[in-house]
Amino acid sequence: MATIIETRGLTKRYGRLMAVDGLDLAIEAGAVFGFIGPNGAGKTTTMRMLATLLRPTAGEAWIAGHSVRKGRREVRRAIGYMPDFFGVYGDMKVWEYLDFFAACYEIPAETRRRLVDDLLELVDLAHRRDDYVDVLSRGMKQRLCLARALAHDPQVLILDEPASGLDPRARVEIRELLRELQAMGKTIFVSSHILSEIEEVCTHIAILEAGRLVAAGTLDEMRQRVQVQRVVRVGLTGRVEEALVWLAGQPGVTCVEPVTDNEGGNLQVTFSGDDEALARLLSHMVGAGFTVVTFREETGDLEDVFMRLTKGVVS
Amino acid sequence: MIKCWHAILEHPVVRLELQRVRRKRWWPGRRFFLFYPALLGAALGCGITWALGDRLGGQPALLVVGASSMCALNGLISLLGLALSWIAPALTAASIVHERELGTLDLLRATLLTERAIVLGKLGGCVVRLWPAILTLLLLTPFRIVVAAGSGLLSPTLLPALTMDGGFDLGQSWPWLLLAGLLGWLRPWGDLAFHAAVGLFISVPSRSSGTAIAVSYGTILVVRVALWLVTSLLVPLLVALPSLAETAPAPVYVLDAMVWVPALAVLATVFIEVVGAVLLVWGAIRWLKRM
Repeated sequence: MATIIETRGLTKRYGRLMAVDGLDLAIEAGAVFGFIGPNGAGKTTTMRMLATLLRPTAGEAWIAGHSVRKGRREVRRAIGYMPDFFGVYGDMKVWEYLDFFAACYEIPAETRRRLVDDLLELVDLAHRRDDYVDVLSRGMKQRLCLARALAHDPQVLILDEPASGLDPRARVEIRELLRELQAMGKTIFVSSHILSEIEEVCTHIAILEAGRLVAAGTLDEMRQRVQVQRVVRVGLTGRVEEALVWLAGQPGVTCVEPVTDNEGGNLQVTFSGDDEALARLLSHMVGAGFTVVTFREETGDLEDVFMRLTKGVVS
Repeated sequence: MIKCWHAILEHPVVRLELQRVRRKRWWPGRRFFLFYPALLGAALGCGITWALGDRLGGQPALLVVGASSMCALNGLISLLGLALSWIAPALTAASIVHERELGTLDLLRATLLTERAIVLGKLGGCVVRLWPAILTLLLLTPFRIVVAAGSGLLSPTLLPALTMDGGFDLGQSWPWLLLAGLLGWLRPWGDLAFHAAVGLFISVPSRSSGTAIAVSYGTILVVRVALWLVTSLLVPLLVALPSLAETAPAPVYVLDAMVWVPALAVLATVFIEVVGAVLLVWGAIRWLKRM
């Protein structure tokens, strides 16, 4: 797949504060790229640089082949940007708001009316077309802002914390919308510190801390990266004590503990080794006469990945 | 021309402001169009009365009516010009910083609107908001020329100087009076442009509307006082210099300096204001680009 967003040594410095420090990223077209990091890590700064709203101190970034330094207009044409804090003109009606921004994107007046209706349909706000923006709920405003970012049909969407401050239902709605946009072939660069939010929609993630990139890759790659120690749940119908002693003597097993929580299984085995070694362990166990009913590897969620990779440093 | 006008009206930011103005209660509507012809008619009537009075050999009653009407018209124009030029910076100073406060400036900048379009659009938005006053002033100020001519002729100080001197008669003084009238006509526009541009420039880096408005008024006041000081010191000096240099000053020369130096001072002030306004708007665009 072609790279649609690329940064090389992207740096932003505010006086003595290094907000973003030599960021190297490559995002493939069609990916939903989650950008996570603690508050103050430099996520918003990076996104503002990519949206051509902030000039990098050093380094370079390209979106759809255009430099954010030299090809600002082309970059703006290629992206739809939604900032973390955004305002709406309260004294405008919903359709007027979208019509205004569509005009800002040089969309001719003849096609704007149809476009506004289509966008409102997409974000499920068609029934609020003639309401003032002021009276919309926060979730609706967020969806309206997303519709605004889509007005010129951009290839790339840069969304800074699109789900922050939303109630669970509104979050689910935003997530569904992101899925829909991904299906439409958009590349989505989304930041969030609500990790479960990102985990469900992202194909790739990058973790940023104190302006530096800690890790980047697909979700599976990231999980494997932090899981040098694999955790396996083993369920047995009997001879649990015996199995515990047997497992402790096997190669690769670093720790065996009996578990009694309701997540299933009797034993939790900490194992270091690849998939082949894990499969061998299972076959040896069955060969040794243990009645194994479950043998399941625990996949750490994004929260685990995040907590393991970051150190709580804030620039 | 029509294309250009269409482009201005189609400018998204100007359209946004137009929409807002139309929704507000103070949109003058039809009442304004009834009011203006009445005012224009009254002013024209006064002018004709005065001109006839002059032709008819200066009948005292007509002169009194004409002079007081001229004074009233002049006062109205001056007041309107003053009000407009001091209201405009409050609007322009709040324009861009208000977008920042709302959180919409980034949204605008992320679109295909250039920084120049945003700044000029916001300026256009302020013009749109002030348009009834601007139109009134635009239509009234040509009468300044008539008023200046009238008051010049009626002035007890200038009139004897013009008529008693051997080299000048009333006919020859008309170009000067016309110049004075033209300058009087230009003056409010220079003030308006400069004050509005100061507000706009300060609006770009400001963080709150209140600060931007306060700083704008402070800056305008300082610049105005400085300009006033310079002109009030320079003008008498320039008037006095030729008479000091000449051992036997010709009366014609002294009169000349008395007329052209103040006129030049006004012209210089207007020039400085207009150039300053253009530079400030350009600076605002540059600053927004650099952000």
